[in-house]
Amino acid sequence: MEEEKKVTGRNNILFSAAAVLILCVLLFPLYWALITSLKTEQEIFQNPPTFYPHILNLKSYAAQVETGDFNMFRSFGNSFLISLGATVIAVILAVPASYGIAKYRFKARKLMLLSFLVTQMLPVSVLLTPMFIMFKNMHVYNTWIAAVLADATIGIPFSVLILKNYFASIPKDLEEAAYLDGCNRFTAFIRILIPIAKPGVMVCAIFSFLYAWGDLAYGMTFILDQEKRPITAGIFNFMGQYGTKWSYLTAFAVVTIIPVALIFIFMQKYIVSGMTSGAVKG
Amino acid sequence: MKRKKWIALLATLTMMTGVITGCGSSGETQETAEPAAEEESSGEEAAVEETEETASAEGAEAVTIWYYWETEGHQVALDQVIQEYNASQDSYQVTAKYVPFADFKKQLSIGASADELPDIAILDSPDHASYVDMGIFEDITGKFDVSSYYEGTVNSCTVDGKLYGVPFGVNCLALYYNEDMLKDVGCSVPTTWDELKETAKALTTDNVTGLALCSVQNEEGTFNFVPWLWSTGATSYDINNENGIRALSYIQSLIDEGVMSKECINWTQGDVMNQFISGNVAMMENGPWQIPTMQSEAPDLNWKVTLIPKDSEYSSVLGGENYAVISGGNVDGALDFLTYATSEEKVKFMMEKFGYISADKTIAENQFEADSPYQPFVEELNYAMPRGPLAEWPGVSDAISLAFNQVITGTATPEDAAAKAQETIDGIVK
Amino acid sequence: MKKHKKLFRYDNVGILFVLPAFLYMLIFVGYPIIRNIVLSFQDVNAGNLVRGTKNFIMFENYLELFKDDVFRTSLANTLKYTVLCLIFQFLIGFVLALFFSKRFSLAKPVRGILLVPWMIPVTVTALMFKLLFATDIGVINYILRSLHLISKNIEWLTTPGTAMFALVCANIWIGIPFNMILISTGLTTIPKELYESASIDGANKVQTFFSITLPLLRPTIESVLILGFIYTFKVYDLVYVMTSGGPVNSTHMLSTYSYKLSFEMFKYSKGSAVANVLLVILLIVGVFYIKATTAGEEE
Repeated sequence: MEEEKKVTGRNNILFSAAAVLILCVLLFPLYWALITSLKTEQEIFQNPPTFYPHILNLKSYAAQVETGDFNMFRSFGNSFLISLGATVIAVILAVPASYGIAKYRFKARKLMLLSFLVTQMLPVSVLLTPMFIMFKNMHVYNTWIAAVLADATIGIPFSVLILKNYFASIPKDLEEAAYLDGCNRFTAFIRILIPIAKPGVMVCAIFSFLYAWGDLAYGMTFILDQEKRPITAGIFNFMGQYGTKWSYLTAFAVVTIIPVALIFIFMQKYIVSGMTSGAVKG
Repeated sequence: MKRKKWIALLATLTMMTGVITGCGSSGETQETAEPAAEEESSGEEAAVEETEETASAEGAEAVTIWYYWETEGHQVALDQVIQEYNASQDSYQVTAKYVPFADFKKQLSIGASADELPDIAILDSPDHASYVDMGIFEDITGKFDVSSYYEGTVNSCTVDGKLYGVPFGVNCLALYYNEDMLKDVGCSVPTTWDELKETAKALTTDNVTGLALCSVQNEEGTFNFVPWLWSTGATSYDINNENGIRALSYIQSLIDEGVMSKECINWTQGDVMNQFISGNVAMMENGPWQIPTMQSEAPDLNWKVTLIPKDSEYSSVLGGENYAVISGGNVDGALDFLTYATSEEKVKFMMEKFGYISADKTIAENQFEADSPYQPFVEELNYAMPRGPLAEWPGVSDAISLAFNQVITGTATPEDAAAKAQETIDGIVK
Repeated sequence: MKKHKKLFRYDNVGILFVLPAFLYMLIFVGYPIIRNIVLSFQDVNAGNLVRGTKNFIMFENYLELFKDDVFRTSLANTLKYTVLCLIFQFLIGFVLALFFSKRFSLAKPVRGILLVPWMIPVTVTALMFKLLFATDIGVINYILRSLHLISKNIEWLTTPGTAMFALVCANIWIGIPFNMILISTGLTTIPKELYESASIDGANKVQTFFSITLPLLRPTIESVLILGFIYTFKVYDLVYVMTSGGPVNSTHMLSTYSYKLSFEMFKYSKGSAVANVLLVILLIVGVFYIKATTAGEEE
């Protein structure tokens, strides 16, 4: 178990220090966003730039809560429900699909795999109008459902392509053992394979959620009422006709990260173990 | 208790629908109000009120407006006029929806394809002709008296002699200058291109650039470029000549001599204003809608507004929004609301809240005190011309903003840029 | 009964697992694809979007495109951008994934935090990078100047070449966590016993990496690269917000140009044609991917 040996002693400190260094470099833009959100607009435009706010300005955070029709907490709720809905659809549909593609050699398999690829190749400019017409005909235009359905189209093909490798890496003997124990194909899939593929499922769920969370085009186009729009719609309050208000905008970035980050921290135990626990024990 | 209310409400609604679809003749409202009151006889006044409100809302036809102002003050002012209108009559119920500026064209395009449009759109005036061409706007010739409006604003919503909209408000660009900075270098207010360049040179230091104008490569940039183009006598459609090249060369020389930052190609008009109030820029070309923000964000800054300096003639560009009525929508309701909203009293109220200038010349001329910062814009309006109106304006606009961007970034000479723009424009206008 | 059995032959059952997801995608994305193809052969603009006849002009839109400078630039840009982003974000992501697979105290928490760039909407990220790369007030110029690497501020976003560089940097920043996490999860599928027996056989770390890690990670790497390729190739928000295709159209991508044609200039058919070119290129890459991934499988 060479790869899995715990790093201890001096090496542990060295590695950890390197990790912190990587963290600092990669997260510098985030640090910059944070301090920009706490500066006054005048200080932001100061040359040379300041590395910490000389005058603490919290006005930008107060503006996040409510601007016109936009209410931050309500938008959070909207975004959360939309993302959750899209994630659930993506996982429920993608997990069996990826299993089917990984483990069975049916005729249309390659074609289907290709079509999952193709479906995520379309640029937004092509998707918006026809999707809009469809949602209107389905009577879900201007509801969360429209955004959920549209956002799931990003998560599904992504999850299928990632998860199929997972299922493919699970040895056949495991499945066969399950059949011997009296499982049929469907129960074997549910009882044996899904638990083994949990890290993959977890990652797909996370990415599906984050894709939906960051979506702006679908939420803006298919939902007209400000009260139903996702949190990302709030960005328009701080950029546009009156210029980019950097302090407001970066404060917006900070507040959009916080709830997702909190979810991650609370669920870290599951996510981290899900992502790193040895998948294949066989 | 709460549940009871809902049941009552639901019952009323069901009955009402039944009655309306059932006989459809007069007197339904009264009939429905009665059983509702009976059901609530146990006596909850609030519930009765709620029912009545629903009844009136149900009877009123919906009128939807799309607009793109993200500023809270604008939204509140518009909303107030709408609320007053809704309270003033029972036939129509107006609601306004915010569609961001960046999404507005897209949303109207998609809406047109999907037949899902509002009843009124309040849109940027240069785009008006394109949508008329698309056939989504109602011909409202003769429905509004626009004779006292600025000619250019009326032109922007007129196609083939027919009126397809009503101007909401008007604006134009002028030159803002930082009074203190100007005083420090002992310059007077520039009125010609040469003076402007000299002044800008004097004002430029390590931390301050003399002049800024929004130069992004889109309609917003075109808006800021055309006053310079037109001032030479060139038109939007005729650029590849001595005049057009002179305009391009002038802007290029501002960049080359360091009195204007190349960064302008990434600054929206709002960004330019932010640079100005932060003291990084001494003079800027901008519009009157920035004034409320400037006054609140930088109350101590001393600035004034003057005409854009001229080459051979004073020139500015007309901007602003128009109301348009969507054909196939609730046209009667839309017209009724517009008649209300374009009354002198409402126009005055909205213009003041918005920091806009009325498109109605008679209102505009008495709208401000003589020393108001808005007054120079009213004067500048006399020299302001509209873009287009032309259905293919987006194509022409693209060619113009590209040409200016080319000379600013030094990727083409003024001559080449003018020739290329002309080629594109000729392909569109012929 | 027999017929029934044949239909439910082992492999054909598989299709039942795939069908729901397939149909979902077919419904929501199939129609847009067909509509887009039809649109690209017509002459739809503002004048005939709603009323009037939409003439079929066949390949005229496409022919026009190849005479269009901006289109050619966008095509070249998209390819250049995709390749550059892909190489760097994959390599950095891979190295980080290997690094964080070591079990030192901070490995798990730090790797978790590195996912944060993914939680920010791309539009916001783009604006943040616009601020970082600003000429006068941007911190990147300030740092470079402080380190005496440059003497004069670089006009990152207003010069064609450097604007592209800034876009690539921003995209790599978003792409690193994506690559790192997916490769990390891929690493967990490699059975530990293989490493044990390799070390018993006396293989060193470099040998194990090339003989075990890399081959067993191949499916993951293929997926990560193809997904990365697709997402980078159709990049939209990032470019739109950071440069809008400028300066002077030098950073237009196929997606931004298609959007501009469709929704800003009302040339719907031409916009569709651009999108189709994008689609065809991705399709070719997709077919190669399928060929490569299914080559070794027993049919």
